[in-house]
Amino acid sequence: MARRPILGVFDSANSAADAGDGLRRAGIPETDVDFLTDTPYPEGAFGEREEPHRLYIFPFIGALLGLTSGILLTSMTQVAYPMVTGGKPILSIPPMAVVCYEGTMLGAILFTVLGIIFESRLPKLKAGLYDTRITEGYIGVLVNTEETQHGEVETAFGQAGAVDIKRE
Amino acid sequence: MQEGRVLSTREINRDLLRSILDTPRWFWPVVTVLGLILLVAAIAIGIMVNRGLGVTGLNRPVAWGFFITNFVFWIGISHAGVMLSAILRLAKAEWRRPATRAAEVLTLFSLMTAMIMPIVHTGRPWRILYWVFPYDFARGIWPNIRTPLVWDPSAILTYLTSSTLFVIIALVPDFAVLRDHTTGIAHRVYSVLAMGWEGNARQWKLQIVAGVLLSALILPVFVSVHSIVSWDFGMAAAVKSWHSTVFAPYFVVGAVHSGVSAVAFALILLRWCYGWQDYIRHEHIDALGRLLIVVATGWFYFLVMEILFGMYGREADELMVRQTQFTYWPYNFWFILFVITTYFIPVALWLSRAWRRNLWIMSIACISVNIGMWLERFLIIVPGLINKQLFTFVWADYRPSIFEYIIIGSTFALVTLLMLLFSRVFPLVPLYDVKEGDVLRTQVQIGRRTVPATFRED
Amino acid sequence: MASSAEQHHGGGHGHGQHAGMWVFPVREEITRDVAGKTFAMPSPYKLALGIAAILTILGVVGFFIRASSDGFGSPGPWGYYAGIFSFVFMVTGAAPLVAAAFRFTKSHWRRPLSRVAELFAMVGIVNIVLFIPLLLAMPPIKNPDVQGSDLEIRRTLWFEVPIGAPYTWDILCFVGLAFCSVMILWLSATPDMAQARATATGFRRSLYGALAGWWFGTKRQWNHQKAGLALLGAFYFMLLIFVQFIFITEFAMSMVPFWKDSVLPPMYTVMSFQTGLSLILIVMFIMRRWGGYENYIGKAPFWSASKILLGLTLLWTYHLFAFFITYWYGRLEVEQNILKYLFTQPYLVVFLGNMLFSFFIPFALLIWNPLRRSDWGPPLAGLVALVGSLLFNLRTFAAAFNTGNHFEFALSHVPAAVWPDIWDICIILGGLGIVALVYLLSAKLFPPMSIWEVKEGTLYQKMDTLMKGEYLVLAKPE
Repeated sequence: MARRPILGVFDSANSAADAGDGLRRAGIPETDVDFLTDTPYPEGAFGEREEPHRLYIFPFIGALLGLTSGILLTSMTQVAYPMVTGGKPILSIPPMAVVCYEGTMLGAILFTVLGIIFESRLPKLKAGLYDTRITEGYIGVLVNTEETQHGEVETAFGQAGAVDIKRE
Repeated sequence: MQEGRVLSTREINRDLLRSILDTPRWFWPVVTVLGLILLVAAIAIGIMVNRGLGVTGLNRPVAWGFFITNFVFWIGISHAGVMLSAILRLAKAEWRRPATRAAEVLTLFSLMTAMIMPIVHTGRPWRILYWVFPYDFARGIWPNIRTPLVWDPSAILTYLTSSTLFVIIALVPDFAVLRDHTTGIAHRVYSVLAMGWEGNARQWKLQIVAGVLLSALILPVFVSVHSIVSWDFGMAAAVKSWHSTVFAPYFVVGAVHSGVSAVAFALILLRWCYGWQDYIRHEHIDALGRLLIVVATGWFYFLVMEILFGMYGREADELMVRQTQFTYWPYNFWFILFVITTYFIPVALWLSRAWRRNLWIMSIACISVNIGMWLERFLIIVPGLINKQLFTFVWADYRPSIFEYIIIGSTFALVTLLMLLFSRVFPLVPLYDVKEGDVLRTQVQIGRRTVPATFRED
Repeated sequence: MASSAEQHHGGGHGHGQHAGMWVFPVREEITRDVAGKTFAMPSPYKLALGIAAILTILGVVGFFIRASSDGFGSPGPWGYYAGIFSFVFMVTGAAPLVAAAFRFTKSHWRRPLSRVAELFAMVGIVNIVLFIPLLLAMPPIKNPDVQGSDLEIRRTLWFEVPIGAPYTWDILCFVGLAFCSVMILWLSATPDMAQARATATGFRRSLYGALAGWWFGTKRQWNHQKAGLALLGAFYFMLLIFVQFIFITEFAMSMVPFWKDSVLPPMYTVMSFQTGLSLILIVMFIMRRWGGYENYIGKAPFWSASKILLGLTLLWTYHLFAFFITYWYGRLEVEQNILKYLFTQPYLVVFLGNMLFSFFIPFALLIWNPLRRSDWGPPLAGLVALVGSLLFNLRTFAAAFNTGNHFEFALSHVPAAVWPDIWDICIILGGLGIVALVYLLSAKLFPPMSIWEVKEGTLYQKMDTLMKGEYLVLAKPE
């Protein structure tokens, strides 16, 4: 049997959280449930699962690559144009430090942004089940589960006071 | 510190998207006037390019004048974005919420404007290419790739890229709101920009972590940018009064001072233009005023260090520059005006709570700071150059020409225009941030008093 | 002493990282409990007191031998004494400011930190005494051998040598600073002394009566106390920055010919904030782990302070770089000599140690989130930063005091390094010992936990439910 999404739309955060409790009681695994909101709620406010991520690795990789680029750029240009100015030795570190630093930070930031997009699973090319009322303050509870369980899901939604239930 | 009422999501969307979904009547006339100012400036630049830098007041030895002053000034303004957004985000200051986006966007546009200034200043802008790609080197003309001037593009481009990405990442959830509230081409554009955002817990978690992480990463870049601008001057031992070790932090604090003042003024203008009284409230401007007292006093300390240690060396040529700054007309007048407008007038106004909450007085204080900070850069650059240096045998005063006045004036029009156009297509107050503030808002009852409180995750 | 809410420290579902972050002492028991802990004399405390006393005696012996063998005729032999004095002044001078600063920002997590910081005011009094030998050893401003030329007056802050400069003004600076910080301590501790008086006996009872007998806790008194603390805090801030500027310029910069470094005073100040906060964190860690204050000191102060410590660590390095790059690019001979002298030649090893301990290790430690969230991570980084700061001060002052001719117009050569002898080491140990001794004694004289602030905190901090999760609620009354 295929897994299909079902979306409950709630007009208050508390009833959406109650729906979450109902789904847990109905034995729907936490990994199949998503709460769609128009603003961040504190983690755990809907009783939802924790979302592990590896974003912190990205800036380190980026910084390393950026630093390497910075060192290569500054050292290679110094060697390519070996002009001594003001008695500063060729390949001396202080003039390289600033550009290397900027390279490091640029690398770290670029990779962090890539990391954010990747870890957020964006861009999402195919639009999923969604309701535009969510950005009007409604809460969407999106359940992606076996079609056989949709009855139980609807019951849980109904008991919690869903204003609308949508299927694909 | 929460004085406003709790607003419904619908109200927040309606109010904050007003600048995008409806066009105010004043919008296009103002844009036209600003556009005309820019046209005049473009003509002035055209003439200057055609006839050469001789039409300006620049000369030998005053090779750096208004353009470079203005460059440093706009780089300074650009420091507000990160200062407010990143530091206050890391400090979990609740009052930051409505101010962050406007500050970040001001950063972008002032940085872009700043970058134009050295290009204009070259007189023959296409010659920058020779410097970037030194085609002449077969003839032995080699670029000095270790000059501190090379640091500027590396720092500014890093800062511009980072700030742009910072703004875009924080805009994604708001793009989704716009996607859901528009139709036709606008809907399609916002849909692409929103990248399929649906607002699930994972996306929000990463949005929050990203805000903190990017803030922490951009902060060191922000400090480096104005430091590097200061080192354009500080590395030169030849021009007396420039070669001061304190220049980097002195410039950074000054930049924060002028930038935060500019943001406070911009917020007051936005509140007035778009009727955002419920979002940009007196408490926010008050908090900015208090923050500015600390920043201004820190800046004053660095100013004292700069001047005092300039004289500490007791070198005749350095003392001569100081004498020019303090006693020679018109520099003495500008110097007194600079110190009064940058520190004494605004801080005196900010000391009173009632005045901090009076938007007219706050506007005067913030404009005063920026007049002073512009003069500060001028007084650093020009008096140092007009004095005879060790290996120069010509020296002259500096009188800026009408071309310089027009071009400098137009940069203010440019930043205003860019801000207005931005507000026409993207929200200048982050919707989700304001909504989050309302979600986390609560109260604690102590005896007969109800004290405003906030839920915190740690 | 129970902590009723400790069971639900932390947030909602499975937020293990928040465990123990905030603690919620029982309001009614705080006064009795803290007073009891203040008056107790456990054996580890006595042992620490004994060690501190021995170190202090070593220092005194070192000092007298140094004075009798070398006298105060030239500054050279007193370089390491100046270094340890500067270290003590830098760290302990900034500590009371930390309390004032976080009180100013109304940070709730500061509450258990305030008194720990303010108690360092007592060391400020000792600093005045320790400062006097430096004044004796300092070379005169006017060169006795030269008259009527540029070299007649050494480059100092006192351009025209006003009356009493520098001795009177310098000592006045330290007296003013100590007075201001002691006033902060007294005003802050008054409500606590008034409350603890009920259980105090003997000497403490009379002392608390004399110092806090006037306190009844009326609304008017509370308002005055808070306004007084804010004002004194602002004064202390301005005074401290000023005194640090005078001290580092007078006793380091102007001793080295042509060392003209406008970023040195801010750099010194930033390092003092870094190390002052570090020392406070270390003391708090000891109090939490072994002093019985675990119900007052959660992990929140360490977590919050760690970010500031990281920022200060970066800021110090930034200031140092600003100096270094300006001199390196200037390429004047005298600048090259100063760079070689202070950084790259005779004191290279000390400089590298200074960088390692003041920047690289604390930075590497503090960027790790799990470590910042622990109660041991930030104090460990702080301890390392303190070692770095000690090396910075010893290097700077040993070099500055041993440049040879302080009246030269520019540093024409790179002098050799001067390493500490056995008596210098005694003096250094004594400097550390006397801080510990004075602090340990002060912590038994005044309650080391700000009772009124912790009590006030219980009104504004609690755990509460938001939908399905439980979170911290922080209230801000103004």
